[in-house]
Amino acid sequence: MSSVTVLRQPVASAWRRIPGAWRQPLTVVGLVVVAAWLLVALLAPWLAPHDPLAQGSNLYQAPSATHLLGTDELGRDVFSRVLWGARISIPLAMLLVVLAFLIGGTLGGLAGYLGGWVDELVMRGADFVFAVPTILLAMAVVAALGPGLFHAVLAVVLVSWPGHARVVRGLVRTIMQSEYVAVGRLLGSPTHRALAVDVLPNIAGPVSVLAALETGNAILLLSALSFLGLGARPPDPEWGSMVSTGAQHFEAWWIGVFPGIAIVSIVLAFNFLGDSLRDAFDPKTIIKARGA
Amino acid sequence: MFLCLGVSVMAFVLTTVVPGDPAVANLGDRASSDPTAVRLYREHFGLDKPLPVQYFVYLGNLLHGDLGESEQSRRAVRIDLAEYIPATAELAITSMVLALLLGVTLGVIAALRRNRLTDQVIRVVSLGGMSTPQFWLALVALYVFFYKLNWVPGAGRLDAIVLPPPHVTGLFSIDALAAGQLDVFLNTVQHLILPACVLAAFNMGLFTRFTRSAVLEVLENDYVRTARAKGLPEVTVVFRHVLRAASPPIVTVVGLAFGNVMTGTVLVENIFSWPGIGQYSYRSATGLDLTAIVGVMLFVAIVYILVNMVVDILYAVIDPRVGLA
Repeated sequence: MSSVTVLRQPVASAWRRIPGAWRQPLTVVGLVVVAAWLLVALLAPWLAPHDPLAQGSNLYQAPSATHLLGTDELGRDVFSRVLWGARISIPLAMLLVVLAFLIGGTLGGLAGYLGGWVDELVMRGADFVFAVPTILLAMAVVAALGPGLFHAVLAVVLVSWPGHARVVRGLVRTIMQSEYVAVGRLLGSPTHRALAVDVLPNIAGPVSVLAALETGNAILLLSALSFLGLGARPPDPEWGSMVSTGAQHFEAWWIGVFPGIAIVSIVLAFNFLGDSLRDAFDPKTIIKARGA
Repeated sequence: MFLCLGVSVMAFVLTTVVPGDPAVANLGDRASSDPTAVRLYREHFGLDKPLPVQYFVYLGNLLHGDLGESEQSRRAVRIDLAEYIPATAELAITSMVLALLLGVTLGVIAALRRNRLTDQVIRVVSLGGMSTPQFWLALVALYVFFYKLNWVPGAGRLDAIVLPPPHVTGLFSIDALAAGQLDVFLNTVQHLILPACVLAAFNMGLFTRFTRSAVLEVLENDYVRTARAKGLPEVTVVFRHVLRAASPPIVTVVGLAFGNVMTGTVLVENIFSWPGIGQYSYRSATGLDLTAIVGVMLFVAIVYILVNMVVDILYAVIDPRVGLA
């Protein structure tokens, strides 16, 4: 099988280019910020100085030493709520990307591998979803099922699988046509072996780029749904719904501004990561297939 | 056409197979106390018939251009849409133009200054545009420019005391100019500028990224080196040789960017009290008004298809190698 390994060159060289990409300042920033937020999500109960749900008598307090980012309309500590918000948005966004990838990746993989009517069906389905703006569709789903974080996650999965399906389909098709798969076939290796040995390792890179970009988008869409009151319900310290509360209390700008900064920082970090990784891999396959 | 049919089925199924009862959502307390009202409501909207029948009735009406009756406004969805579309169109088109102008300019600069400080700064700005939640950006912009600085008027399309211009296109800026009402035009622009900028942020980032990579690809070509070697001024090289060759991928993104704008309008229109279809669809979604939501979805899907058709045609115009088959 050593001949097959040698023939898998293009990917090997793409991987080798990653260290260069990792050295880019923005990539490092992205990596550090994502790692920091993951830590915050893990350690929020110990990091947060106050109970995120505990209501106090100090309403609308401007940022101070006791309340770093001030207090909201019920006297809750905004800093603690922002930290706890990481425990909602980040794991949900990741779960959502995994679900969307499992669904979209499987469908796209089947479409690319089998072709024919399966391909037609899956791709037309993806077209339908693409033709309707994500938030309209997600709003309709949430409105149909009733508001709630879980339903919002379902809605986002429903609107985000086509992106994964397109990428995986394109990759599978390209790889199935490449010479090393043909060589493997000539050597008599069965189809499932071709899938496991040749196809899967080759889609890992581009898929990781997509995952980084999609995690950022998932956080944006989830928080947007919560902002509209269709996702997280009060008193959950969800960033989008905290911004929505802030919108009703303009004088106390800190209620809405800081959760927003939290969203920007983590989404930007994921986008930095995805953008640099994309430069390391073939940029075109991903951008075009992703469609956004 | 096939796509429209698919969207109509999907939208219909989505909004019909719901645990929420539209009768309860729209009649409120009366639903529990007054069974007759519920029955009459269901009969009026055809909700008492089996689902496939409901769909075919809906589809039949659709072919006559009839999108059904909204359960909230009690008017034909078509009439609702006709009222709200111009507001959204004015906002969306303005933001698209802004995003394209800024994005292409920044993208070209970034590509020419590749990997230098300028490129990195533009990278941060463009990715920042794509990473900022539009609802938050809208609120911050309102806070700074309206609440604190008072540079722009607040919500809505016009000041409350200003009468809309005579209706021609429904786009207030064009109608006002056509009627020669300069003050109305200025007021429209003042109201338009902030939401349009907020809405443009995401697509500005998208256009910048795409322009940068498209221009970088073209810059590697021999004819660019030849043009420079001939001593042509850099401006000529960029505009005549590079930008033209780089435009097909940029034009393609315009089709995709349209979807982003429609997503953005839902949030931005809500915050700026902009009376467009974004706000309308939000109200319909929260009111479980399935006819209205399906109508909006269909309309947007049709526009999406049209926009992409125009993009394909433009593509062929720009790039002679692409046929119109």
